[in-house]
Amino acid sequence: MIEFNDVTYSYRTGNHNALDHISLNFRQGEWTSVIGHNGSGKSTLVKILMGVLEGYEGEIKVDGEVMTEENLPDIRKRFAIVFQNPDNQFVGATVEDDVAFGLENNGVGRDEMVNRVEEALRSVNMLEYRTHEPSRLSGGQKQRVAIAGALAMQPDLLILDEATSMLDPQGRREVLEILREIHREKLTTLIYITHDLAEIGVSDHAVVMKDGRVINEGTVEEIYQDTDALVSSRLVLPFTISLADRLLDGCYMSYDELVERL
Amino acid sequence: MLSKMLLGRYIPGNSMVHRFDPRAKIIAVFLFMIIVFFANHWTGYLLLVLFVLSLTKLAGLSLVFLFNGLKLILLLIVFTFMMHLFFTKGGTVLIDAGWFTIESEGVIRGIYITIRLAMLILITTLLTLTTSPLSLTDAIERICRPLKAIKVPVHEIAMMMSISLRFIPTLMDETEKIIKAQSARGSTFMTGSLKSRLNALTPVFIPLFISAFKRAEEMAMAMEVRGYQGEEGRTNYRVLDWQWKDTFAIILMILFGIVLFMIRQ
Repeated sequence: MIEFNDVTYSYRTGNHNALDHISLNFRQGEWTSVIGHNGSGKSTLVKILMGVLEGYEGEIKVDGEVMTEENLPDIRKRFAIVFQNPDNQFVGATVEDDVAFGLENNGVGRDEMVNRVEEALRSVNMLEYRTHEPSRLSGGQKQRVAIAGALAMQPDLLILDEATSMLDPQGRREVLEILREIHREKLTTLIYITHDLAEIGVSDHAVVMKDGRVINEGTVEEIYQDTDALVSSRLVLPFTISLADRLLDGCYMSYDELVERL
Repeated sequence: MLSKMLLGRYIPGNSMVHRFDPRAKIIAVFLFMIIVFFANHWTGYLLLVLFVLSLTKLAGLSLVFLFNGLKLILLLIVFTFMMHLFFTKGGTVLIDAGWFTIESEGVIRGIYITIRLAMLILITTLLTLTTSPLSLTDAIERICRPLKAIKVPVHEIAMMMSISLRFIPTLMDETEKIIKAQSARGSTFMTGSLKSRLNALTPVFIPLFISAFKRAEEMAMAMEVRGYQGEEGRTNYRVLDWQWKDTFAIILMILFGIVLFMIRQ
């Protein structure tokens, strides 16, 4: 669905490339995780895709069509994104206002808007909070509202830029659970940016980044197997993975499998 | 003390006054501000007081509650009363203490002005108490829409207002966090002279400002990727519903004004 061909980008203040000749392919209907340490370029990737950063080298194709300044507004409408900080992306004064914000911007009629807001809130289990103010919600709930806001746009692609990194374990579990459900039911294409290796388990495809380069790519099994690449990219291995790495050949995909093989 | 302050606060409820269209309420309060000045003798003032008291009753608020919340404002009212008492001359001399006199005209004027001021404060407090800040913003935006013709950015101002309102609790939390963090590093906020206490606030405000700017930047990006391009082509999720009872309330207000005007002397 989305193809990065040899994309390079550097920030004006930096003297090295934030993205260094990146070639990637995000496939339709797949959950792709992008893992990397701080400064690995994973957020830059998203910002370029959303058209927030301009002036990169190389080309990005969306459904075979090269992304240009002209078609960017139309392309952007097909993507939705959830950012890291739950507070700083909550625009509306109440839950339902926030979910409706994107729809209002795109001139969706009021009747359809009401339906879509309701449906989106239901799919993240937040319908009963619809009139609540953000200050009365937990971080996990705010992120679920942000996801509802993204879903209400009925996007072809949902991007999550470290959407769980500021949440407590409880909130993180809630959000991941919701995402898994949405992915399964609606077959939405997902790009999941994270620095937590433990979160990529559910994805179909994973990309490991370091210093603006892709250093490993493949299924989650393949990624977990190549522990050297993970360690060299300064990622913290989940305890169970390093355990499995030391004790067994190959990797495991779930706790049960690990226990069994041990 | 501050938690009891009622100025600008909203008390959720479902009374008749709560359910009026916010635009109707704003217009009515505006009309009342003019009407107050029609009264010029005691029957007029009595009517004004009765009107405001019955409105308070309709809003389901108790007078004691209002009185407690407005104690600070009372000071201002008492001050105005005193000014009239001492400086308005005319009528019979009530007290003559040599270097100052209190005359009957002063007492009467003082009482009238006090009532006027008190009623104005009560009715505007009633407005904010019964209308959520959000619907107030909405109403102001709709009422001011004609101003767009003279290039007043009505939509943008309303947007800023609603985002600011939404960020007040967030920034409050943040302030508290910073104060705690600075206290843990040995700052004291509650002791010392006024000057040193003000100085102690600098390390609170600087981090607060920095984070507010960061938030603003992130917020701007989040709004942009969600397709915000200003008012053009935008639809509204919230709708205000003007009903016959709102028209009726305005008409009633105007009638009240006419009555007060008729009984002027």
